Amino acid sequence: MKDRLEEFVSENREAFDVFEPRPELWQEICHELPKAKKETTRVIKFNFGDSFSLSGNLVFMRVAAAVVLLLGCALTLVLMKLNAPDTNNTLAAAAEQAPLNRIAPELVEVEAYYASQIEAKKSQLSAYDLKVLGLDKDQEIDQELERLNTSYQQLKKELYTTPNTDKVMDAMIQNLQIRIRVLSRQLEILQKVEQLQKQQTSEPQKDETANV
Amino acid sequence: METLSYQDVNMGVVDRCREGDNRAQYELYKLYAKAMFNVSMRITNDYAEAEDVLQEAFISAFKNLHSYKAEASFGSWLKKIVVNAAINAIRKRRSELVPMDERLAGEVPDEINNDEDTEWQVEKVRKAIQKLPDGYRIVLSLYLLEGFDHAEIGEILGITESTSKSQFSRAKKKLLEIMREPQFAA
Repeated sequence: MKDRLEEFVSENREAFDVFEPRPELWQEICHELPKAKKETTRVIKFNFGDSFSLSGNLVFMRVAAAVVLLLGCALTLVLMKLNAPDTNNTLAAAAEQAPLNRIAPELVEVEAYYASQIEAKKSQLSAYDLKVLGLDKDQEIDQELERLNTSYQQLKKELYTTPNTDKVMDAMIQNLQIRIRVLSRQLEILQKVEQLQKQQTSEPQKDETANV
Repeated sequence: METLSYQDVNMGVVDRCREGDNRAQYELYKLYAKAMFNVSMRITNDYAEAEDVLQEAFISAFKNLHSYKAEASFGSWLKKIVVNAAINAIRKRRSELVPMDERLAGEVPDEINNDEDTEWQVEKVRKAIQKLPDGYRIVLSLYLLEGFDHAEIGEILGITESTSKSQFSRAKKKLLEIMREPQFAA
């Protein structure tokens, strides 16, 4: 039964294999092969019995991750709620929570204006050497200014807690104006004292009563 | 074709493959990829499909290496897997393999040609085989090139041994006919 064709093919069998698969094919095969050895050495498995394996069960891991995330969120919320009353009670914290320029935006400008006025008066005052002028009342003035300052700070705190910001604002501005008036008065006094002292030095014997 | 000593050479590699040794797997792949790819090519007659078959066959071979009992050589065991994968692939593509060829058989001239006049060249024969209809090409390739007997071919294709035999002789006639075509000789 062996004919020419069969003989020819068996003689030239090797030559019939002319095709070659792509060299990349091995990589593709490799990807789909189970890597029994490598897996056991590389992956650390946590086994808690037969049905409960951390590494194996992907669904379980997902659920676990979700539960951990939810617990974390719940914990932070609870902690925030616990801390909330404390921070509300302290006005300083309240002040931090609500910035001044949102409650009374004009106050920032007003404050800056009066602050510059007060600074100017204060620098004018400091030009006078009070001790030389024989006035030791400066302590009284400082005390007065300090009292005004503390009441001002009190008002500023109230600004965050009272609904009627306009009234508080007015009081604050008044406070600042009083300070300026106090400083101006002091300045006036000092100027007068200075004038009198000048007169004294020019006519010391003549106007002794004017000093009083 | 495969001797006992040839088998023994591969046994060490096969054992390492069973343990999942990637390098041993590559050794076996390198050794058989080309031959198996050509087996697959001859059945599917399509490069991309032949590659898919090869990939599928190697993966299934490595996964089912425990079922290889070394009663045959690894090469012939692997070849069976490749052939089955290729047949399955072509069955998915074309619903009928052999029945179509029964009808075609009538057109093939009956006289046995004295083929001394044909010029024998591997490339010519190979290309003529490629031009055969699927059913003919598969039976002819399995018998002539892959070394299966008709009983085995019958088992693989789900046909009787005698159908395989008649199919083969028809395929051979058709092949010689193709080779004699004037445009083919050129």
